[in-house]
Amino acid sequence: MRNIIVCTKIVPKAEDMNFDPETKTMKRSGVENQINEADKNAIELSLKIKEKNGGRVVLLSMGPPFFEQYLKIGIAMGADDAILLSDRLFAGADTFATSATLAAAIRKIGDYDLVLCGEETSDGGTGQVPSQLAELLDLPQMLFVSEVDVDGNNLKAKRTIKGGYEIVESGMPAILSIELGINQPRFPDFKRKRWADKEFSLTIWSASSLEIKPELTGTSGSYTIVKRLTEYFTHQRQRISVEGTAEQQANKIMEILREYG
Amino acid sequence: MNRKEIWVYLERNPEEIEDVSLEILGRAKELGKKSDMSVVGVMLGKEPGNLGDIALKHGADKVIFLKDSLLESYSTEDYTKALFEIINKRMPEIFLLGATYQGRDLAGRLSARLRTGLTANVVSLDIDTDGYLLSGVPGYGSKVLAEIICVRNKPQMSTVRPGIFSKKLIPIKAGIVEVLDLDLQGSVSRVRVVSRKVEKHPDLSRAEKVIIAGNGVEGNLDMVAKMADIFGARLGVSRPIADKGKASRELQVGSTGYSLNAKLVLIFGVSGAEHFLPGIANCQTVISINMDRESDIFEYSDYCVVADASKIIPILLREGGDR
Ligand SMILES: Cc1cc2nc3c(=O)[nH]c(=O)nc-3n(C[C@H](O)[C@H](O)[C@H](O)COP(=O)(O)OP(=O)(O)OC[C@H]3O[C@@H](n4cnc5c(N)ncnc54)[C@H](O)[C@@H]3O)c2cc1C
Ligand SMILES: Nc1ncnc2c1ncn2[C@@H]1O[C@H](COP(=O)(O)O)[C@@H](O)[C@H]1O
Repeated sequence: MRNIIVCTKIVPKAEDMNFDPETKTMKRSGVENQINEADKNAIELSLKIKEKNGGRVVLLSMGPPFFEQYLKIGIAMGADDAILLSDRLFAGADTFATSATLAAAIRKIGDYDLVLCGEETSDGGTGQVPSQLAELLDLPQMLFVSEVDVDGNNLKAKRTIKGGYEIVESGMPAILSIELGINQPRFPDFKRKRWADKEFSLTIWSASSLEIKPELTGTSGSYTIVKRLTEYFTHQRQRISVEGTAEQQANKIMEILREYG
Repeated sequence: MNRKEIWVYLERNPEEIEDVSLEILGRAKELGKKSDMSVVGVMLGKEPGNLGDIALKHGADKVIFLKDSLLESYSTEDYTKALFEIINKRMPEIFLLGATYQGRDLAGRLSARLRTGLTANVVSLDIDTDGYLLSGVPGYGSKVLAEIICVRNKPQMSTVRPGIFSKKLIPIKAGIVEVLDLDLQGSVSRVRVVSRKVEKHPDLSRAEKVIIAGNGVEGNLDMVAKMADIFGARLGVSRPIADKGKASRELQVGSTGYSLNAKLVLIFGVSGAEHFLPGIANCQTVISINMDRESDIFEYSDYCVVADASKIIPILLREGGDR
């Protein structure tokens, strides 16, 4: 098995984010970050594949320098290497520019059999990167995958479709998006974490180290822009408290249920 | 001069058109009126059957059917190839797809091949004063709505969440179904479908009454399902219940599940996480039962019942006439 590349994004914890209606921006100060949940599932899956079939697990991420400390958590989980694509030019990328940049890095890493992504990020939440990446790399794609079986150069995967699932097959290399919650990501190994923090050095690539025109990255490489942000979820609920014994509370619920027939 | 066009991908399942495609047609028709564009439904398959007429009744001014035996069932690469060619020839202004598994799979690949912008999981659609498509996407759970435009290239593409718009029967004057025989000569797909298992579930976003079971009632799932039965409601679940395989994904409510439009929704043991909330935003009345008085779910509820669900459920079952 050759390299297994896992595209890993670091995202703010949603519950920490707040919208400032005055400035119409998200307040990010004091926000905690984490490896995107579905990407953690992808890392776990890549480690399982590696345990069975060999190969190296390489984490690939595009983002600001502070991502490093989180990628080291992935290293402590068992990934062999991590590469961070970091450059001012990359800022403001939409999913296409993100995919173009990741694709250039994947070509540079080379020698891979699998590219794994999470099904979507919890902040942007588009799920577009895996299929855009697949197109740019001219690879077969299988999205919303929950199980993978590698046998020689053949890949079998279970993917969710409307109303159920499909078992699909393809050769490798191929690109998969991994369904959120399909496994229990292992905890970072304590010793390995210490080693990662002290001795492991992350590879950082800027725009000039990739074979990609700078104008294809970041804002200039994007096709979409956010025209404006507005406050959402304005629906005001009544928030009537239903008190009393369980019997009384249930009676009130019955009353409402009957109202609605 | 020909009018500009809004194209809508008509997803087949396989013998019907997916509701979400018809919902989008309805909205596209309104946008078309506003901006003087015509609405074209695009369908791929082996034979059009009567599906074209159904699209015409729901807002399409015209239907294009891309015909080839290879297109009988969906494959990312063959569908992308067929659509890429026709879109490049006719260059619609806008191309909309349902944010279904298939729609999202296809839209990502196709947009990258077309080198155009794509917005995902849209919950609102409009045309702005400059004539751009404005696609609204809830961000950070559901605290903000980002309105996104595609500034370069055409078509402007978006995938639209099911259950956001309602399908409407629109009286037609004279719509046509244009059948294009493609003659694709062999599949380009590198992914082979070995087997498929699907069940038909009626669309949760249309249910009038829904009872939702979250992690807090994982052990009582059977009872909640029974209750839904007794009260003529549909069962819904939060994501972890579907993740654990205890219920079908088709029952999942939330940002990666269904958006409900129910008149009444009863929620047992759900914490009210950011990704759950978009699923209940359009419901009329929300009743929540949660043990934790501080639970976020109560901020988004009309009736807040602080209680152990396992105490409430048996009483409701009894009162509902279960024996
Ligand atoms: C990208 C992404 C997409 C996601 N999409 C979705 C989605 O579409 N839908 C979705 O639901 N989630 C989604 N999630 C997951 C979401 O973040 C939460 O993890 C999930 O909604 C939590 O489910 P829950 O409220 O059922 O469980 P928990 O958070 O475990 O909450 C259980 C609740 O039950 C209460 N409880 C426990 N016991 C009892 C009892 N006996 N009686 C009454 N109450 C009790 C507890 O107080 C608690 O509030 C997504 C996450 C990500 C990252
Ligand atoms: N900046 C990034 N760096 C690395 N991987 C990314 C990045 N953005 C997206 N991805 C990958 O693409 C998946 C889907 O992301 P998205 O399309 O943004 O929802 C994520 O789960 C990641 O695996």
